[in-house]
Amino acid sequence: MSEAQLPLPQPDALTESFWQACRRGILEVQSCSACGHDFLPPGPCCPRCWSTGLSARAVSGRGRVFSFVVYRRTYHPGMPAPYVVALIELDEGPRLISNVVGCAPEEVAIDMPVQVRFEAAGEFSLPRFAPAAVDGGDA
Amino acid sequence: MSRRAVIVGVGHTDFGKLEGRTAWHLETEAAAAALSDAGLGPSDVDGLITDPGPAQGILDGITPHFLRLGAQLGLDPDYAGSELLGGAGSVAIVERAALAVEAGLCDVCLCVYGDSPLSTPGSFQYGRGDEAAFGFFGAVGLHALAAQRHVHRYGTTAEHLGEVAVAARAHASRTPHAQKRQPISMDDYLASELLVEPLRRLDCCLVSDGAAAVLVTTEERARDLAQPGIRMLGHAQAHSLSTYASPGHFDALPAARSGPKALGRAGLTPADVDVALLYDCFTIVVLLQLEDYGFCKKGESGPFVEGGRIGPGGSLPVNPSGGLLAEGYGSGMLHVIEAVRQLRGEAGERQLPDAEVALVSGHGLGMNTHATLVLGS
Ligand SMILES: [Zn+2]
Repeated sequence: MSEAQLPLPQPDALTESFWQACRRGILEVQSCSACGHDFLPPGPCCPRCWSTGLSARAVSGRGRVFSFVVYRRTYHPGMPAPYVVALIELDEGPRLISNVVGCAPEEVAIDMPVQVRFEAAGEFSLPRFAPAAVDGGDA
Repeated sequence: MSRRAVIVGVGHTDFGKLEGRTAWHLETEAAAAALSDAGLGPSDVDGLITDPGPAQGILDGITPHFLRLGAQLGLDPDYAGSELLGGAGSVAIVERAALAVEAGLCDVCLCVYGDSPLSTPGSFQYGRGDEAAFGFFGAVGLHALAAQRHVHRYGTTAEHLGEVAVAARAHASRTPHAQKRQPISMDDYLASELLVEPLRRLDCCLVSDGAAAVLVTTEERARDLAQPGIRMLGHAQAHSLSTYASPGHFDALPAARSGPKALGRAGLTPADVDVALLYDCFTIVVLLQLEDYGFCKKGESGPFVEGGRIGPGGSLPVNPSGGLLAEGYGSGMLHVIEAVRQLRGEAGERQLPDAEVALVSGHGLGMNTHATLVLGS
């Protein structure tokens, strides 16, 4: 995969910390100190109670496939088909768009347990997800 | 005496690849056609609301779309603006026109949609922010996530999605101005290239150059005009802006909220709807709306559309002009126009018998926005 050609994340004041944590191999969510709500993407206030008392919190990186699609057509030369894009629901609640890697597209299913796996892309480390290994393995 | 808004004029350009003409050419042509349909002239227009398509955008530098179009049309209206609700925009500006007319802000409000994406290559190939780094491109990927959920939860099949695509083409074969008039079979659908599984090329709407316009005025003013006023019986919007964080974002559309509100204001139920003009950017969106508007139960839209129920001659004809899948991409404005034509009884070969109530919907952006209009003859 010629990663260099792919569009890269564009961190801003709100998401810089998330992408920095990824470089350290940590998946981070934002956590509200007022109501305890964990959320993604990072924002200026808690989307549940509007408190601005927020902190970054490392999460387990475990989750499940909420839904997924298989790109059968290549839309970008840096990402040749087939590949899986999935909406991952983390065990802690927040959802994020990512890829399911480490298995054939045909093996991906809704509700499948997955574990984060960081993969380099240019200067970035992208949080992708692989099927959760039953006895250790990937994680 | 309260002012009641009605639609008195509709007009549109051809839809397809219209080389050598800008969106401005198309929008002014559609506006003139709507005026001529109503028997009105430029000096009668005192309101302008626009829904610029995604390829031209709402701003050119700092100049908003309505300003440039208004200047080209020589208008100095009492009310003006542009809306930015994606595919819900056209239905929403007709709603906004009704509110403006009923509030007395203007008397004759022109609503215009237009775009020329085929002369602006690449405009539909956008990535979605950081998500593009994961190869998540375009609206098709997003809607495929919803389709996959439907397949998983309810056992919806490729053939169920295919029924929507086949019905759209069958309808469009009777629409002289439709971009794709050639009918397709279920085999054609199943042989269609998988783009983003589970969605195929034939699950996706067309990309079109074209413009469409609607004129809204008061019931009183309409009495002297060329066309009977089509009444706006109810309207509502509902949105899901939290996107992924919203628990039901991919399983139900905001239509589940705007539908009952709009129909309720009209004192109607889904059973009263004679013709449904449902926003159909992707086949799955039609299935979801059949459920969320209450035409069938949640999860049962697949079996509901079997046997041509939403096609020509079916018990609930959906998009008799062919919709975005076959008539052309006109945001929701062609849907509004087809509703008007059906209610006037001027839809020619595709005219439905006794069409008295139409439901029109718009759906847009990342499945975020929704608008509903209920129209009556
Ligand atoms: Zn909070």
